[in-house]
Amino acid sequence: MEKIELSTSEGVQTGENVGVSGALDLELSRNGRHEIHESYLQLVWSRFRRSRISLVGGILIAALLILSIFADFFSPTDPGQIDLKNSFIPPQQIRFFDADGNFHWRPFTYLQVLTLDPVTYAPTWEEDTSHPYEIKFFVRSWDYKILGIIPSNWHLYAPEEGGTVYLLGTDKFGRDLWGRTCRAGRISLSLSLFAAFISITVGSVFGVVSGYYGGWIDNIMQRFIELIQAVPALPLWMSLAAVVPITWDPLLVFVVMACIFALIGWTVLAREVRGKVMAFRGTDFILAAKEMGASDTRIIFRHLYPHSLSHVIVILTLTIPEIILAEAFLSFLGIGVQEPLVSWGFLMRDAQSLETLGTHPWIMAPAVFIALAVLGFNFLGDGLRDAADPYAIM
Amino acid sequence: MTLANGKQANDSTILEVKNLKQYFPIRRGFFQRVVGHIRAVDDVSFSVKENEVLGLVGESGCGKTTTGRSILRLYDPTGGEVWYTRPDGERVNLAPISQKEMKPLRRELRMIFQDPFSSLNPRLTVKDIIGEPLVIHNIAKGRELEDRVGELMKSVGLNPAYMSRYPHEFSGGQRQRIGLARTLALSPRVIIADEPVSALDVSIQAQVLKLLEQLKEELNLTILFIAHDLAVVEHICDRIAVMYVGKIAELTSSEDLLYHPMHPYTEALISAVPAADPDIRMERIILEGDVPSPANPPSGCVFHPRCRYAKDVCRSDPPNLEEVEPGHWVSCHFARELTLHGIGGGM
Repeated sequence: MEKIELSTSEGVQTGENVGVSGALDLELSRNGRHEIHESYLQLVWSRFRRSRISLVGGILIAALLILSIFADFFSPTDPGQIDLKNSFIPPQQIRFFDADGNFHWRPFTYLQVLTLDPVTYAPTWEEDTSHPYEIKFFVRSWDYKILGIIPSNWHLYAPEEGGTVYLLGTDKFGRDLWGRTCRAGRISLSLSLFAAFISITVGSVFGVVSGYYGGWIDNIMQRFIELIQAVPALPLWMSLAAVVPITWDPLLVFVVMACIFALIGWTVLAREVRGKVMAFRGTDFILAAKEMGASDTRIIFRHLYPHSLSHVIVILTLTIPEIILAEAFLSFLGIGVQEPLVSWGFLMRDAQSLETLGTHPWIMAPAVFIALAVLGFNFLGDGLRDAADPYAIM
Repeated sequence: MTLANGKQANDSTILEVKNLKQYFPIRRGFFQRVVGHIRAVDDVSFSVKENEVLGLVGESGCGKTTTGRSILRLYDPTGGEVWYTRPDGERVNLAPISQKEMKPLRRELRMIFQDPFSSLNPRLTVKDIIGEPLVIHNIAKGRELEDRVGELMKSVGLNPAYMSRYPHEFSGGQRQRIGLARTLALSPRVIIADEPVSALDVSIQAQVLKLLEQLKEELNLTILFIAHDLAVVEHICDRIAVMYVGKIAELTSSEDLLYHPMHPYTEALISAVPAADPDIRMERIILEGDVPSPANPPSGCVFHPRCRYAKDVCRSDPPNLEEVEPGHWVSCHFARELTLHGIGGGM
């Protein structure tokens, strides 16, 4: 890893002159509060900033998180509201020019009306250009609760009374797909973050114990990891996910699902941490800590584990997208999360049949969100890896 | 502690090492079977008097560092005794006690590490590094800790204003001073200095040695000074022990060792010390072959394959460390017969 030079403006005291520093009084340094020094977070930020792509990744992730957390604010209509009359409306265009070619300062939409093809009797949606419905910003509309606590009815945008804005169209039950997708991000993102957190914790504990104590403990733990790795992941998840009863409390299902997805990655992480811990276990500063009489806990948490932190972050940012994909995959197949938990993969279940996919391709929209999230985390990890370890020596 | 021993050694003896053995198992195969041992330290005995500097000299791999680490229980000795005399006169054998019993004693016996680059955790500030022993032994915290660290930095010639800097912002010599401050933090009585200057530039070496000498006088320290270079130890040490493949070859006062060596290995070492006076011409004794592996030491005297005076008896019988002259211990069958050359003894 690249080693960076940290030179403060004063520079390091040159030479080995005892006299110079001896003249400096301790009181002086105390009043002067030593010298201004970059903190750890400042160092991390200044290195992180250098990587453009990781900034893009960070913005992507932040945007997705905001969209998910405040999904209701971004939804003009209640995404939970079922209206079978509005089934499978295609994404509505936001217009500035009306049918006669006149420019409007406010964006507007036309209502979609259902017509039957006179020959095939296939239902098709067409725009009714007789009346434009203006889109208004920061308006009061349907009630919801911010973070499930604070009641509110503010929305970023909403159509005029009687109009509709379905940015991504509607699903089979006439629910706004845009709002549903934003809401689904809550489960998709929180589930994968939670699962990644479990995976990191288990992997770190395994790696540190295995690497630090070595010997037969290490031998047994490594054989166990190999056993876990030898089990094909997909059938394992599928069978585990299949045995989770539908009748369980949604929160419990969420936690169990997270644990199942946490099975990914922790073995790789445990190996990496073990390697790092083993490499550092024999260094002089660990020996010096032992010589001072430091306990094992102190040596591990203060001297060993921080050195594997950059690896942990890399694995973390690789694990999260992996879990997002795995969750989407299982939910798409119908063995992932169940209602009332809705994730991106779950939303795409309607796209399983070719017939639906052919006539209502917008049902696949959550796939774009999945791709953005995966890319975002990968980009973010790229920069974090270099930034997280400003004191790296290995 | 019930480890006090009634038998009293010399009154001023602070550390007495008796028949210390440190073997490392060589493991092979899936089941980690022990197939042999590396005899890093094999039957080493010496004693250190209070306020004395004893040098421990030898080639790399001769077991001098291991000896230091075994004494401080960074390794668990395979055999032998390490008697330490506490300030109240109680004698404790460090070799068999548990790490828990060892912890309070670590305040009195400390170590300086060789490499000032790898012995300081790069993620901790100087304050955290120097203050760590104080925190571990619950001596100081908060403002008090900061004051103590500042005093320590001053005592080793560092500016206390730099206490929130990281080790990589310092030069090698300054880093070794940080290490020294960390060692002094607990006001130790005995310091095992493991090649404290060998990683430094020659110009810095002298300064650090001088500082060490000065601190020794001020703080009444006893130092076991480990080095591979006779030139470094000759000024600072009162007595010098020469080690070869896990055993002590010769042990005597510095002057005696340098001017009247009685072991052929010491003679060879001395001949390698560059003389400052160009008029002094010495025959450089080039030792043939390599240092034998401590996993498979030669029969008889471990030095015999490289010794130019070796006879048949050297190949079969290992010599004992004997007091040939008062205070002059030599491990050689022919110590009394050979006439060897020390410094200035041109041939």
